[in-house]
Amino acid sequence: MKMRHVLWQLIKYRPGLYAADIVAWISIMLTELGAGYIAKLFFDSLTDSSPASLSLWGIIALVVAAGVARILTILAGALLDIRHRYNMGSLLRRNLLASILNQPGAQTLGRSTGETLNTFRDDAQMVEDTISWIVDQISFIAYAGVALVVLIAIDARITAIVVVPLLSVILAARLVAKHIRRFREAARRATEQVTGAIGEAMEGVQTIQLAGAEKHVLAHVRELNKARLHATVRDRLLSQSFHSFFWNTGTLCTGLILLAAAGGLKSRTFTVGDFAVFVIYVGVLAEVVAVIGDFMMHLKQGAVSMERMAHLANDKTASSVVRHAPIHMSGPLPKIVTPSRTDRDRLETLRVDHLYFSWPSEGGAEVRSTDAFALQDVSFSLSRGEFVVITGRIGAGKSTLLRTLLGLLPMDRGRITWNSRQVMDPATFFVPPRCAYTPQVPQLFSDSLQSNIRMGLPSTSEQLEEALRLAVMEEDVPHLQAGLDTLIGARGVKLSGGQRQRTAAARMFIRDPELLVFDDLSSALDIETENTLWNRTFARGDRTTLVVSHRRPALERADRIILLKDGVIEGVGTLRELLERHEEMQSLWGGGGLEQAA
Amino acid sequence: MKVPIKQYYNLLSTYLKTQWRWVAILTLLILVTIGLKLANPQILRAFIDTAIEGGEWSILIRLALLFFGIALLTQALSVAATYVGETVAWTATNALRLDLLDHALHLDATFHKDHTPGKMIERIDGDVATLSNFFSRFVIDVAGNGLLVMGILALLFREDWRIGLPIFVFAIITLFLLIWIRKLAVPYWTQYRRLSAEFFGFLGEHISGREDIRGNGAVSHVMHRFYEFVQRMYPVRLRSSLGGYAMWMANVGLFAFGHAVAFGVGATLWRASVITIGTVYLVFHYTELLRGPISEIRTQITDLQRAEAGIRRIRTLLDQQSKLTDEGTLHLPSGPLAVSFRGVSFAYEAARTPQDEEEAAPEMVPALHNIDFDLAPGTVLGLLGRTGSGKTTLARLLVRLYDPQHGGVHVGGKPVESVKIADLRRAVRKVPQEVQLFRASIRDNVRLFDPSVTDARVLNALDHLGIRDWVLGLPNGLDTMLAADGGGLSAGQSQLIALGRSFLADPGLVILDEASSRLDPATEHLLEIAVDRLLENRTAIIIAHRLSTVERADQIMILDDGQIAEFGSRNALMADPTSRLSRLLQAGMEEVLV
Repeated sequence: MKMRHVLWQLIKYRPGLYAADIVAWISIMLTELGAGYIAKLFFDSLTDSSPASLSLWGIIALVVAAGVARILTILAGALLDIRHRYNMGSLLRRNLLASILNQPGAQTLGRSTGETLNTFRDDAQMVEDTISWIVDQISFIAYAGVALVVLIAIDARITAIVVVPLLSVILAARLVAKHIRRFREAARRATEQVTGAIGEAMEGVQTIQLAGAEKHVLAHVRELNKARLHATVRDRLLSQSFHSFFWNTGTLCTGLILLAAAGGLKSRTFTVGDFAVFVIYVGVLAEVVAVIGDFMMHLKQGAVSMERMAHLANDKTASSVVRHAPIHMSGPLPKIVTPSRTDRDRLETLRVDHLYFSWPSEGGAEVRSTDAFALQDVSFSLSRGEFVVITGRIGAGKSTLLRTLLGLLPMDRGRITWNSRQVMDPATFFVPPRCAYTPQVPQLFSDSLQSNIRMGLPSTSEQLEEALRLAVMEEDVPHLQAGLDTLIGARGVKLSGGQRQRTAAARMFIRDPELLVFDDLSSALDIETENTLWNRTFARGDRTTLVVSHRRPALERADRIILLKDGVIEGVGTLRELLERHEEMQSLWGGGGLEQAA
Repeated sequence: MKVPIKQYYNLLSTYLKTQWRWVAILTLLILVTIGLKLANPQILRAFIDTAIEGGEWSILIRLALLFFGIALLTQALSVAATYVGETVAWTATNALRLDLLDHALHLDATFHKDHTPGKMIERIDGDVATLSNFFSRFVIDVAGNGLLVMGILALLFREDWRIGLPIFVFAIITLFLLIWIRKLAVPYWTQYRRLSAEFFGFLGEHISGREDIRGNGAVSHVMHRFYEFVQRMYPVRLRSSLGGYAMWMANVGLFAFGHAVAFGVGATLWRASVITIGTVYLVFHYTELLRGPISEIRTQITDLQRAEAGIRRIRTLLDQQSKLTDEGTLHLPSGPLAVSFRGVSFAYEAARTPQDEEEAAPEMVPALHNIDFDLAPGTVLGLLGRTGSGKTTLARLLVRLYDPQHGGVHVGGKPVESVKIADLRRAVRKVPQEVQLFRASIRDNVRLFDPSVTDARVLNALDHLGIRDWVLGLPNGLDTMLAADGGGLSAGQSQLIALGRSFLADPGLVILDEASSRLDPATEHLLEIAVDRLLENRTAIIIAHRLSTVERADQIMILDDGQIAEFGSRNALMADPTSRLSRLLQAGMEEVLV
């Protein structure tokens, strides 16, 4: 989508407010124009002896009235502009958040959280500015139009002498503007590197502290800082030179007025009042040119920001970033959507046929996880009440299989059927009440334990207790300082690793989905706890569960184990069958585990 | 509220001192520009008077050209000032960023539990960015523009005191009124920045957790919370933005007043034939010229509001002290280290939160009660117990992530507080439960950016882990960049990298905290060989939930609810059928037989 289409789409979001904003800002500029004209009246009243001229007191009264009018128009413009800007910024951020949460393959944004936040903060701000500054441009153009009419009425020749250089400056600006984008992009990239590194350092602060690597990490950030300094100074230098070139045009034009008006002043056909109004208006005209020049530059930078937002939203056209959606600035908030369960959702069988997945070849030198082996021709099925375990070595493609099935990674080929119905869009299909999923390292949020489990789900306290019991979390809760209302800190750091995983499990159980999908849930649980968890899960016979695990309690209990090797199914069966038939399973089983200890 | 001049001065002197040459050049550039600005209206007056009196063409042309020349020179000077100013500003703010990061990196775990990385980015980068202008231009511009105002007033007084005095009074009133209005807006700025930091903290956390959100169908819940922020932030944003506009409105009103004064005085004196029409214009033009520096001072003061909020928050961050004192002077012996706990009790305290953070978050209380044991150098201790029994806490005390409330922790015969934290953590290496990777090369991820570690040592460490060939087989080898969030590696590979870091450190005491929990048995086997090597001739504490770890332990400790339930040599405990260890193994056996 072209930048102007993007902007137009945004402007259409609150057209009435925007129109009012424009009217207010034109009024501000027109009152300023009036104030300039009063100066002419003043000087003319001194030099012109005709009785029609205003008295000194009359002029002073006019000056004061113009001042009051400007203050009032500025107040109106401020209120409208602040409100409209807030609408724009909030809409952009809302759409970005919504598309990040909704896009399939959400797991790789390709950038750190710090960098992503940068786009939320600065790029959205940049586009918000662009929209608001369009209002300024319109009001400046209105000012320029009226000012030109007045100046031509006073002296058309001098006006022409002054306006031609102004116009040539605008043309020159167009030629320079294209370099600015390149410098701006480089500066933004360098900034991202710095914020990304700071974010990572804060996320990994314990690792750094325990390794005593504080000063080395600082040195690393220092290098990134240096690169940012160079990029930013270059960017600012170019835009600033550009800017001051425009501003200085006004002064140069005053020089032109001096030359052109000398004759008129000598012959008294051009009054000192005319001279005063020329200097004032041409000064503001130059300001208009300067601001328009700045704006052209800003438009380029805004386009860069828009592209970055579109990239983040994984939407080349950017249409999802500028889509109209309510932002709920006032009034009641929307109800949280909790999909209701229908008979069609009830799981009887889930079939996966000939599933293929490969990583896109782009990504260059970045390592793809070996756990991310391409999947080839993977087929299996799962019936109501079954416990199926996917196992295999590191890099066999276990997590990749789960993610592809759930639509978190796009499959290349294959067919997924729920009962007898083909699942067309796994990403939107595999959500509660049909399915709930917990990734390898579950994420919790800085909120109460209770909110982390409910996550907006309206549920009774009995349901909450049952979910906690299923997750073997019920005994931990009384030990927490505020029980269920305990604030668990950023990413749940105030809980132990095991508590975090069980909280994530409770979060799934409370949704009572048809299918439970765990990616290596039990890795931070002790054997006893893990056993209790599975016992409770299967106490009700119809819970259907698909897990990635290599742990004994899961493997032994499994109705079926899917053994993956290099992205291909090596075998399917019970533990005993697989151990008999497959060397791979024997080596996995024999390589570690409990036997020696036992 | 007083302008905290001393704080500004301290900041400026700290971060500008090293760049005094550039600051001097910048000052010079700005002074020359001021001189040129003062000269221009004089030329205009001369021009008007000469023209009105029918003066020579050649004089008029010369005056006009002089005017041009000055305009061009001003242009050149302003570009130069930009370059110097930006460089000074970025050098200073970068230094401040590093100091803040340095400080944050040294704060204890209690602090970081309460501060999301998103929030910290806002504090370390966002707040500092508001200071950029403050560093580059604030003093010079305010002083420079102050000089310009004084120059204008002096020149007006030179014309006639009846002109100088009223304009002088006008300028003074304007400045004081603008400074007064500034005070009104500061609290709103602070409030807005705080709310905005909270908002970005919320965003950051939920962006990291997007898979969990989707997987649990909670997208609409998160959007709901987003809208809550939208509603909460608007009134604050409105008030803080209006603060800026109030300055503009005051400025407009005051200048309307200023012009009225200039017109009144000019007209009266002209009618009395005291001054020429050119001088009336000069008075008008100088009054108009005052608008520039005064509005510049106003802008700087608006920026100062932002900067002040930023400075305040930076101060709050810098005032956060780590709860751990680092005054140790003793050195640890080399080789395997002895460990002893003497009556150690520890409870997590409720976090002490500074007032500008959200309400204090309560923490979990129970942890360790009266722990007492000794471990000889070179022994391997297997630490068992249910989750939450205190195993991780015990390990944290050894590396001083926390200090116990009672009792003493000794390593190598020395109380841990008597050794410098950096030395302690060099000698006692804890492999953390969760591995953090950095968006950097594999080399830097293993050596954690320490440039003194050679490739040979990195490769040696990778060799121990059996992934040397895999890494060298990558197209860029050690230079291979890991994706953001370490997303390029599997959990298992991440664990291997984390273990590689410990190999490099050559510690005397190793604490493995479930280091291999996410590996499949085959990889675990690979790792076990590596761990065996790491433990050679070292004291070790291995925390695990699984009995397999017991295999390599000489001593076993079972913790239960923060207390030692059992402690002794593995062989003795295994030989005693009534021991908890034996019963656990029995349970394990039963499981195996199911």
